[in-house]
Amino acid sequence: MDTTVETDPAANDRTLPDERLREILYLLKLSRYLDERLEALYRQGRLPGALYSGRGQEGTHVGVAYALEARDSLFPTHRDLTAQLTKGLDLNRVLAQYWGRIDGYLRGRDGNSHIGDWDGNRTFAVMSHLPIAYPVAVGAAWAYQRAGDGRVAMAICGDGATSNGRWHESINTSAIMRLPVVWVVNNNQFAYSTPNEKEFAVPTIAERATAYGIPGVRVDGTEVLEVYAAASEALERARSGGGPSLIESVSLRWRGHAGHDPAKYVPRELLEHYMLSKDPVKNFEAHLRDRGVVDDAAITEMQSRVEQAFEQAHAFALDSPYPEAGDVSKGVWVEDGYWRAEPGRGGGTDAG
Amino acid sequence: MATQQVEAAAAGHGAEPRGKRSDDGQATYLVAIAEALWEEMERDERVFMLGEDIGVYGGAFKVTEGFIERFGPTRVVDTPIAEETIVGMAAGAAMEGLRPVAEFQYSDFMSSGFDEITTVLARYHYRAGVPLPVVLRAPSGGGVRASNFHSINPEPWFAYTGGIKIMCPAFPSDAKGLLKSAIRDDNPSVFLEHKALYRRIKEHVSDDPEALVPIGSAAVKRAGDDVTIITYGAMVHKALEAAESLAGRGVSVEVVDLRTVYPIDEDAVLRSIEKTSRALVLYESFRFLGIGSEVASIIAERAFEHLDAPVMRLAPPNHPVPFSPPLEDAFLPQVADIEAAVDRLSAW
Repeated sequence: MDTTVETDPAANDRTLPDERLREILYLLKLSRYLDERLEALYRQGRLPGALYSGRGQEGTHVGVAYALEARDSLFPTHRDLTAQLTKGLDLNRVLAQYWGRIDGYLRGRDGNSHIGDWDGNRTFAVMSHLPIAYPVAVGAAWAYQRAGDGRVAMAICGDGATSNGRWHESINTSAIMRLPVVWVVNNNQFAYSTPNEKEFAVPTIAERATAYGIPGVRVDGTEVLEVYAAASEALERARSGGGPSLIESVSLRWRGHAGHDPAKYVPRELLEHYMLSKDPVKNFEAHLRDRGVVDDAAITEMQSRVEQAFEQAHAFALDSPYPEAGDVSKGVWVEDGYWRAEPGRGGGTDAG
Repeated sequence: MATQQVEAAAAGHGAEPRGKRSDDGQATYLVAIAEALWEEMERDERVFMLGEDIGVYGGAFKVTEGFIERFGPTRVVDTPIAEETIVGMAAGAAMEGLRPVAEFQYSDFMSSGFDEITTVLARYHYRAGVPLPVVLRAPSGGGVRASNFHSINPEPWFAYTGGIKIMCPAFPSDAKGLLKSAIRDDNPSVFLEHKALYRRIKEHVSDDPEALVPIGSAAVKRAGDDVTIITYGAMVHKALEAAESLAGRGVSVEVVDLRTVYPIDEDAVLRSIEKTSRALVLYESFRFLGIGSEVASIIAERAFEHLDAPVMRLAPPNHPVPFSPPLEDAFLPQVADIEAAVDRLSAW
């Protein structure tokens, strides 16, 4: 089986109207700006908890999630915050989560990008033990198959998680049952500090699909439309009963594993190459400018909308109260009703 | 697995388990469990089962024999040997509104699915407010010469996950009623079926599909005045045997069967201690940090003024379950050990 597909970005974008191309650019720019601002606030000691940058991988995150329908589910990792935003999460509530506030999606019970909005946007609340969500996606996909309603589950993990047994268990099971699921590997070339060659001995992750009897493709994760096209094809296959697919989307993690990690193990030339030549945000902007989809005025307006969205969400987060300490042990069991009721808002803010 | 007499012959594929009751209408522990599954599958089409060899083969212990013929392969799902995926699959299906009942061939193999149990099942509702009504069924316990990897009592593992209810019934009626409650409960639960009881214990069980045993409720299985034995699972039967023998010597023993080991019915335990003032905590998981350790703590904290003797524990040592009969017998608490422990308590 051929495990690679050559996609032509120029061919891909003909399928999308200009308005949607501009929407994709907005999401890419929002992803980049959010990442930079959160890092700055983290370094200033103004953002509590941990920070996992997705910079450089926006093409993968936006590309796969933009291909999903609202009714499809997404099982992301801590690195994939902007995939969740693309799926529809509200930035206000996302930042409230970062600051541990009651208006965060998880009401302060988890922080940073360990976020999810199952009831609203069908995204699974991220867990650290990767790829822990892969088996759960099998179950969701099984439910869709049983219902026969054309929904699809999509799960993302990194290159490092492909070394874990659950990755193989899940793909194998989904292939046996021919489930409507799309397996995405965000290959950003480093699992914390471990490079690809210490994670797998085959040339690509995509070719592993052959061993499970499903299609696998390797795409340039810095080309958002290439990713989008591959995801759309895989989703269509799943939706129409064709079973699971594997997408390996290759980019580079520009920042460390987390906010504390300077990532000195990434070769300087590699990083420079990606930052200078394979910037998914800049390259897509240039592409749309070339095609006349955006001009200077549109870009300025877009950037200002991005910054406004962030400032508004940041203010919203800081104004949102902390959870009430007396609620700490509520919501373990369904029957206490904590999650079905509006939570208390008497936890105060830093302003008092 | 030791071969044991099957109490009732199979009534034929696709026929309900009630047909497997004995001629006088009694159900074994195994048949009672199958009845609970069958009735809940009939009552609620969101309920489905998944696991290894549960379909055509009917399960490692034949609990689900005949189910696939009645309910079909979309409700009796044979999976590959992939325990993490079985648990995760159950969680994902539950998130989409289904009510999965996953079978493990032995509770020992739950360690192979443990990350999905402790990280997803136990924590998801507290973190994110999405109910995961999943039941994990597994045969547990020793005494059948099944050796290291088919004999453990893993209930303390799950108690420590902080978000899973755990049932360890000792009688067919309790097994049936508790399993039905677990399937209807919106929280994840681990339902441990003591394999030594499957075909050994039988009794009349209710025909009423709404006869439930509440989760978190203990039961006094024998009333007494002098000493309380707090226990669960197969040890209940050893405690009852010891109590009978002790009664012949004039010692009156009360046997409290916890039935659910997490959460524990603290009030039922305390009521008995207030009456007898002496407590023996008997359990089959490891002595150190076992369920009984917690029961002993509850008594020490909440019933100190009622005690006439120190709380005593009787449980296996902290090491693997051995195979050779004299070794396994020495490992597990025996009736004679229970009697000796009650005698020591009575001497205070």
